[in-house]
Formats: sequence, C-alpha cells, structure tokens
Amino acid sequence: MHHDGAPVSILFRIVANPLELRGPSVDIVNSVPILGPCLADLSQCAEAFKIGLFNGLIIALIAIGYTLVYGILQLINFANGDVFMVGTMLTWIGVSFMGLREGSPASLVIVTLVVLLVATMLITAGLNASIERLAYRPLRNAPTLATLISAIGMSFILQNVGQAIIGPSPRSVPQLLSNKPLFEIGGVSFALNELFVAVITIPLLVGLTWFVQKTRQGKAMRATAQDREAAGLMGINTNRTISLTFLLAGALAGGAGLVVALYYGQTWWFYGFPFGLLAFTAAVLGGIGNLTGAALGGIVLGLIRALNERYVDPRWTDVVVFSILIIVLVFRPTGILGEKIGERA
Amino acid sequence: MKVTKLGAIVASAVFVFAACSTSPGTSAGDKGTIDIWSSLPRQGSSKGQTDTIVNAIKLKIDQLGGKVDGWTISYTDQDDSTAAAGKWTPEKETDNATKAVADKNLVAYIGTFNSGAAKLSIPTLCTAGIPMISPANTYPGLTVTLGAEAGEPEKYYPGGCKHNYFRVVPNDNLQGGAGARYAQSLGATKAYLLDDTELYGKGIADVFEKTAKDISLQVLAHDQAPGKSTDFKALAAKIKAAGPDLVYYGGITQNNAGQLWKDLRDALGPDVKLMGPDGIYENAFIEAAGAAAEGTYITFGGPDPDNYTGDAAKFKADYIAKYPGSSLEGYSIYGYEAANVLLSAIEKASKAGAKDVTALRSATIDNLAATKDFKGVIGTFSLDASGDTNSQTFTGFKVVSGKFAFDKDLTPAK
Amino acid sequence: MTQVVTLARRSLNPLSGLTHDPRQRRIVAVLILAALIYPFLASAGLFPSWVPAPTTNNLIVMCYYAVLALGLNIVVGFAGLLDLGYVAFYVFGAYTTAFLGSEQFGFHLSWWVTVWIAVAIAALAGVLLGAPTLRLRGDYLAIVTLGFGEIVPLMFKNLDKININIAGQKIIGPDFNLTGGVLGINPIDPPTLPSPFGKEIIFSNSNPHASLYLILLILMVVFFLSRRLRDSRLGRAWMAIREDETAAEAMGINTVSTKLLAFALGASCSGFVGAFVSSYQTAVFPESFNFAISITILIMVVLGGMGSLRGAVLGAFALSYVSETFLPWAGTFVNPPINSLGDATHVAFFTNFTLSAYNYLIFGVVLVLMMIFRPEGLLPSATRRAELHGEGIAAESTFGTTASVAEAATDFEEAAGELPIADWSDAAGAAAEPTHAADEPPPSNPPSAGGPA
Repeated sequence: MHHDGAPVSILFRIVANPLELRGPSVDIVNSVPILGPCLADLSQCAEAFKIGLFNGLIIALIAIGYTLVYGILQLINFANGDVFMVGTMLTWIGVSFMGLREGSPASLVIVTLVVLLVATMLITAGLNASIERLAYRPLRNAPTLATLISAIGMSFILQNVGQAIIGPSPRSVPQLLSNKPLFEIGGVSFALNELFVAVITIPLLVGLTWFVQKTRQGKAMRATAQDREAAGLMGINTNRTISLTFLLAGALAGGAGLVVALYYGQTWWFYGFPFGLLAFTAAVLGGIGNLTGAALGGIVLGLIRALNERYVDPRWTDVVVFSILIIVLVFRPTGILGEKIGERA
Repeated sequence: MKVTKLGAIVASAVFVFAACSTSPGTSAGDKGTIDIWSSLPRQGSSKGQTDTIVNAIKLKIDQLGGKVDGWTISYTDQDDSTAAAGKWTPEKETDNATKAVADKNLVAYIGTFNSGAAKLSIPTLCTAGIPMISPANTYPGLTVTLGAEAGEPEKYYPGGCKHNYFRVVPNDNLQGGAGARYAQSLGATKAYLLDDTELYGKGIADVFEKTAKDISLQVLAHDQAPGKSTDFKALAAKIKAAGPDLVYYGGITQNNAGQLWKDLRDALGPDVKLMGPDGIYENAFIEAAGAAAEGTYITFGGPDPDNYTGDAAKFKADYIAKYPGSSLEGYSIYGYEAANVLLSAIEKASKAGAKDVTALRSATIDNLAATKDFKGVIGTFSLDASGDTNSQTFTGFKVVSGKFAFDKDLTPAK
Repeated sequence: MTQVVTLARRSLNPLSGLTHDPRQRRIVAVLILAALIYPFLASAGLFPSWVPAPTTNNLIVMCYYAVLALGLNIVVGFAGLLDLGYVAFYVFGAYTTAFLGSEQFGFHLSWWVTVWIAVAIAALAGVLLGAPTLRLRGDYLAIVTLGFGEIVPLMFKNLDKININIAGQKIIGPDFNLTGGVLGINPIDPPTLPSPFGKEIIFSNSNPHASLYLILLILMVVFFLSRRLRDSRLGRAWMAIREDETAAEAMGINTVSTKLLAFALGASCSGFVGAFVSSYQTAVFPESFNFAISITILIMVVLGGMGSLRGAVLGAFALSYVSETFLPWAGTFVNPPINSLGDATHVAFFTNFTLSAYNYLIFGVVLVLMMIFRPEGLLPSATRRAELHGEGIAAESTFGTTASVAEAATDFEEAAGELPIADWSDAAGAAAEPTHAADEPPPSNPPSAGGPA
C-alpha cells in the first residue's frame, strides 16, 4: 500500500495525500499532478477512467438534449435538467410501485425495466414537448432572453413538483442491478450496473445521431436549425419539427434519468441543477449545436471530474471543470469541435 | 395638496393601529405576557427533527398551563431556513435575531439548530442581553477554545456583553472523541476520514482525527466529500485503494450522504465499517441511503429514544399522548430539556423579584449559568458559565433492517 | 457660467437626479419619507399580525436587492450582456470588507473607507472576469459568467489552507488562511458614526433603523448614478451595443472598453451591497453566495423591465417582499389547516406542507406568465416597450443580434419622448461637452456624473 511508506515517488505523496493538500499545493518541480500517480498504478488509473467514462456517458445523454434545443431555438433550455430529474423520479415511483428490491426475480426486474424505460422516455418526451408548447412557443418571436426566463420559470416549477412528490431529501432506489464484478479487463472489473449504463446510453447516442443525420425528419431539423424562415418556405412544418426536437430531447433526458436512478441509486428533486449544469457545460465544451461535440464534451467532463476526484481534491472539481470551460471558450469560442448547426447572426 | 391628504390618512391609520395594539389590562396574579421564541430550520430535511423539537417545547409549556410564576407565556416558532436552500440561511437567522431584539416582551430565545446560525444570532442577542439556549448546537467554538478557531468564543460576545448562550447537548469535542473511541472498540485499526466541507462536518471529523492520534488509531487520510457532488465513485475507488477498515464521515444527510454511502458500499463491499455522527442520525438518511445504510454506526450525544428510562420515559409517554401517531427523533428530548431548564430559570428569576422583562432577562442568564445538578429528563446535569453542559451521555447506534438500533452506551465512566 | 451654477445646484439637490417631473418628484419624496418613518411605526408595534407588514429587516433586504438589481441592470439591461453569475462580483465586495474590517488580518479600517475599496475591488473583478468574455456571443457569455458565479465563491470557500512551494522553497504557508474557509469571517466591524447624543451610532443588525437609512442612502446614490449613466453618452453606447454590436462598432464605438465599463460599473453596485451586507450581518459565509442569488437578481431585473431603473427597484421590492414577508405571513393562515388535514389523513405531503416552501413554484408560474403576456416587465423602459410592441420591430430581434441601428434610433426618440429634453442636456452638461448623438467614440473616462469607479 502506498501509505506504508513504500518507495513511492515524492510526487505521489504531495499530490495524493490530502492531509497535505487542503489548499492548492503548487509545486513547480512536480507540476503534472495526475500523470505521475496514474503511471504509478495503471489499474487504479484505469479504474478512475472507467468511472469517468460511465458518468460521462450519462452527462452526454443529457447534453444532447441541450444541444438539440439550442441548435434549433438558440435557447438554453434550463428545464431540460429538471425533465431529467423527473425521469429519475418516475423510475423511483415505478420501482417502488412494483415493489422491486435487491434480489427480486431477474425476469421481473428485466420486464419492469424495459417497460419503465419506454414509459419514462415517453412521459418525459411528452413533458418536454408540452413545456415547449406552453411556455416557449408563444415566445417564438420574442427576444431569446424572454424564452430563457420562461425556461428558468419552468425549471422552478418542475423542481417544486419534484420536491412535493419526492420530499426534501434524496430518496433511495433499490439496487436492482448487481454491482458485483462480472468480468475483468486489464485489472479493471465491470459489474452489471455499469454494463447497463453502456447498454442504454450508447445505443441512444448512436440512434439519435443516425436519426438526425440520415432520416427525413432529421434533415428537417437541421434545416430548421440553419434557417427557420427558409425551412418554412421550403415546406417544412417548423413548429412540428421543433416539437419533435423537444420530444427527442425529453426522451433522452428520461432515459438518462432511468440510468441515473438505477446506477446511482437515488432520486432527488435538486438533481436537475448539478446534472443540467454539467450537461450544458459539456454541450458548450464540445461546440453547442454539434451532436458529436456534446457526446465528446460529456465524456471529457466525466473523465476530468473522475481524475480530479481521484488524484487531486474533490473540493476543486467544480473549479477545475469551469476553468477548463472558460479557457476553452476564450481560446476557441466555438468549442472543441465547433458549431455545426444553429450558427446564426 | 395630495401630500397633505396622504399625510392625514397615514396619521389616522397610525391612531387606529395604536388603539388596536393597546395592551389589555392586567388582572391580579397576572403579571403580563412574556414572549419566548424558537429559531429552527422549519423547512428542508431538518424539518423532521425540528417538528418534534417544537412539539416538545409546546408540550413543556402546556404542562405548566402556559404560565410561569404568573407570567403568561406566548411562544412563537420562528423559521431560519428557506425552501430554496433547504436549510438555514444567514439572512433568515439574522432576521430572526433582529426581530427578537425588537420584541420588547421577549425573555428568551430557544435556538439554534445549526451551529453556523448560532454564530450570527449570539452576538446580536448578547448585546441586547437576551438569554439564548440551544437544543442542538454542537460546534465547540461557541463556548470554549478547545476545538475552536482563533478568537473563538470571545468574538461572539462583543464588547464584553454578559455570556448569554447555553446549550443542553454535549459539544463535538466530546462527540468526535466518542466516535474515535467507538471505532477503536469495534476493532478498527485504519480509519479513512471524510467530511462534507461544512462547519459541523469538518469540525467533528477534525476532532475524530485528533482523538484517533491520541488513542493510536491510524488515520490513513482525511478527504473532502462536497455535498454538491452528484456522485462519489472516484473518491470511493481512491478510498478502496487506501485499504481502510473503517470510514468515518463528518457531515449531514443533506449534503448527499445517501449517495456517498451507496458509492462507498459499492466500492468497499460489506466488510468495511462506515460510521457517522448525529448529522446522519435521522430517518431521512436511511431513506436516502437505502440498503447501503445497513450496518452503519452512528454516534449521538444523548440517550436512545427507544430505550428511555425514568423521566425520559415519562416525557416520551406524555409526548405520544399529546401528539398521537408521531414518533420521537434524537433531538426531541433536548427541545424539551431546553424549555425545561429555561422556564425553571425564568421562574426562579421572577420569584426573586424580577418585575419587568429586562430584569427577567438578566436574572435568567444568571440563573442558567448557575444551573447546578438540574434534574432534567435526560438525567442530572449542570451548566457552566461558558454555556456548556456537563452531561456526557452518548449512544452508539447501528442501522439494522432500516432502523437505528441501540448498539452501545458510549457514556464515559465517571 | 450659469450652466455650471445650475449644474452645481442640481447636483446638490438629492432628488435632481431621480426625476424632473414635479409630480414624480413629489411621489419619490413621499416614498422616501415613508421609508424613513416606517421603522418607527413597525417597531412601535403598530402593525397587528393580520397585516403582512415587512419588518425593518425585511425592508433592508428589499433595499439591498434593489441595489443589486440596479447593478445587474447596467450589465444586462443597458449593455445587453447576459450575466448569470452576478454573485461573483458580490462575493468580492463582501470579502473585501471582511478582510479589511475584522480580526482576519487584524486590519480594522473604518467601514467608511473600506466601502470604497470594496467598490473598487468589485469593479476590478468586473473587468477581470469580464475581459475573457468579450469575444463571446450572448449564450456563451451566459455560460461563462455562470461558471464564474460557481468558481468564485468556491475559491473563497476553499482558500483556507494555502501552501505554495516553488522548488521546495516555501513561498506561502504553511496553511495560510486567506478566507476563513467554510467558517467564513466572523465578526466584521460594522460602520459606526459618532452621535450627538453620546453613544455612537452602529449600523449593524443590532440597530436596523440606522442600517435601513444607510442602505436607503446607498440605493438613492446608485439609482441616481444609474440614471445619469443611462442618459449619458456611455449609456447610449451600451444600448447601441445591445441593439447591434456590429453596427455600434461600425459607428465608432469602442466595444471593448464600453463592455468592460458595463461590467465594472455593474459590479461596483454589488461592491456597495457586499460591503453593506457583510457588515450588517457582521459575518460572511461562502455558502451564502450561490447560483440562486444570481438568478433571483436576474429575475428581479426582468420582472421589473430590463433597462428600466424603476422597474429593477420594483422587481426587487416585489420579489423580496413576497418571499421574505408575504409568504411566511400567509403561511400562518394556510399551513395549520392543511397540516391538520395531513394529521387526519396521514398524507405526508399535507402534514409537512409549508407555503413558503413553494415560493419558487409561484415565481416560476409568474415568470412564465409574465414572459408570455408582458415580456417587457412591470415598468418597462420606453426602449423595451417600443422593441416589444413596436410595429413589427421586434419580429426577429434576438438578444443583441438583428435589430438595426435605425430601429435603435427610433427607440431613442421614444425614450426622449418619455424624458424631458432637459435631462439630455443635463447629462451633456455633466460631461462638460455637448453631445447629442451616440455615434461619437466614448472618451476613456465615462462621461457620467462621476461613476463610482
């Protein structure tokens, strides 16, 4: 063990011993804080990467919702994070309703989860589209700030509804999917609940990209994002296309909600804010309006957070995340991959 | 002129209000009304605890027939939290303290629940000479220098004002130490410490660390688990790599302790012991952590509500009789005890000849500071001039089948 | 010469900057007078409990939110820079006062000095945090400012044990405590003034009357300066940038310095409030500064009407009155029956019902409805009203993008319709040079009547 005074590099001790690192320890000589300890124990480092990757996939799923809506309306849909929260809440309600618990029969769990996934995604999709219909569509021709404020209003409403239903504290969702290691790759073990994250998020991410790139409806979305008026003149029903966008964003948020409720094992009325903030940051980091960018941004953020938590100091995670965002934007204002759709003005 | 007209309206309104608020005449044996306030977080997830504290205070006042030595008690339950924060906020606590100072009939202030809030209201109330008694503050720096920051506690009593603050719970110097000794008695040899970066949690984890060094319990590291984090999986992996046999968390449920517990259990498996202070001694914690809460060890500075004996058992019976269908939380009895010792001090002050509110306040402070071998429901205790109790009742709980089950009496042998 | 005399007279008259309409001036005078006598009425117990009357402390909260709203209004309302992290500047103001007037470093400077340092530091923070965002468009700006709003308070929370070693040499440390960490800084010296009646006057929560007068004074000063700024050449330059940055730049406006001035002047208002609040509460805690504060102030500005000074004050008053006074008051009537219903039916939702827990629900509904039915706010500025209800002007106007300079010019005419022309020449007089158009490059110093920077 590193702590028994074995010949560990000085670097490791300075960076990884939190008793010494209560504030920012800046040591110019040993100034690469993550690389050293990471190389010192590769399987540990891979473990951190794995955690970051799975968290990143979830963030990516929510980030796509932000990027889709931003691309088409130039709107930061503040309520998107709260629609995600509603997804975690619906999963919690569904699981409690079915009386599922750790050790429930596998067949029952699988059937319930499949039904819940479909139901949650349908409900959150409908919720998101209704929000658009009620709170954003009447503002179609108003300045975007008006829509943004309306979105903040919807976010408040959803949070309070969540608080009324869930209560003030987080609530536990039973561990339906085992966290016992199933198999190992290169010293890193994978459990069923982690595979579940990948099984849900990756097909959704791929499917959505395919939808937007290849289908007729997707083309209509891209056209509307590029120039709403021209798209309308070309015979695209822009209102329907915008509704479709919100349906998709809501469905993805709901899917992410189900994954979080089962993988993290909690629902919380406040979830919308931290996840929404991370997801929007990821979308901006990748280049807002850019689907691949949002996914990439999500994964990058997940990795940064996990590595910082593992090797630096959890207290500084948010500072690190936002500093990177700011630096990226200052030097490359259109994000890592640049904007693809929705570049206006 | 419009202005004159408006002035006339204002003036007449003033007269109407003045007429309304004339106090009713005092009859014989009725010395008038005195106000007692409590200031507790009545929203957010501390609400479960504070509901029972307020109920316990009301119970005590009812038992006295709403009067103390001829004075009619008017009790007001003030809230120092906001819904948005889900916990106390400096603005609300300041507001309560300011309002308290403005209330000319106020004799005492029961509160606060959170030590951070007490730091704001103590100086304000001290300057005004209003006694303050807390059923739940455990931060040492409010009363003593041990375990405090530089300048504490004197800085809360500005201008040499008379020490007005008392508490009926043991401070964290005792609880953090009790936790460390408890951990050792459970067979732990290598502890990993976490805190939620807040006043209470960090303070208690620091004391745990200090005590652990004294009793040569090895502390592998002391990390932070900020409450705003959405998950602690990477942190849990890091802890696993360090290989502790016990993880101690200084913090409260509201800082996402449920998620922390899930991630720790996930990474560490069932064999590593998890322990926390009374900040997670509430049902909200079990609801948040679910199955991961199983086997958690918790220290609490008081007797076990399920096993009250003597006067405490009578309190519980009275409470359930007045509030049927409700259950007690850990701090309920301290709410009762705070009201109990306070009202007895007021009674003594009044009997000794205090005729008005100012005299009552001052004499009550003196009486509280001189509390000696008070027979309360938690046992016999004394308060000292710094405001601390000498009660050292500690209980160790273990979560078994989703309930806090008594595990060990941690009260040090006298 | 007469101009100078007039100017001097006007500057000395505290109400001259507030309004020129005699009727409005009377209303303002009555309002101020009411605010001055109010605490005496409140503390005399003249308001029975069935009247939702704010306490003096509530009134103070309303006033300092009004100052914050006026500050954010400069950034968002005038210059059109969507700032979602206004709290970052506020932190600097509050901690500067805390550093200079407490035991933290043993400085006990007089508050009357530190307040100006706090304002200057907040303005500097405005420039430093504003500078990286200059190249960014509206929504990127929003997210970067939001980021600053998260980072800055966290820095203050975490910088309690600083060790900086360079090549093994200790530069700072060991465990240098800069900010007091999560404990914050407590206590902080309140402002004091010698009193003719012996004891000195303390402006802290132990003396809310005096504190109310102090924050009222700050509110009036900030309102006055905001009004002067709006009607100055700098103010018109901001609005030109808000309407169309490219066109404004083409017309010779230095967009970099103009935007930075918006950040600096907007931030300086929060410096005042930071200095006031930290000494009024006699403590600062890093936890008090969060996104909710930034967003609440933004809502106040939008609710009142962006770019409108009276609107910002009204928005701040309305919102903080509802959450601080009205809902807790209404709760005393609404909660008990619902709670007893819960006790009877064993429905946890009713048992634990607290009306004030739902204030954000109410805000949310109000915000959505406002945006749909009255997006220009309660007391809109003439410009905004024209933009939102003008003849198709706003059809494609996204924030700071497509409205043309020609439209901006019409807006200005409308704005002039609201204000007496005297106001314009007044501002010009203050700048000591006649300006009537927004198309001249602004000088390096703002031609305001002495900005707080």
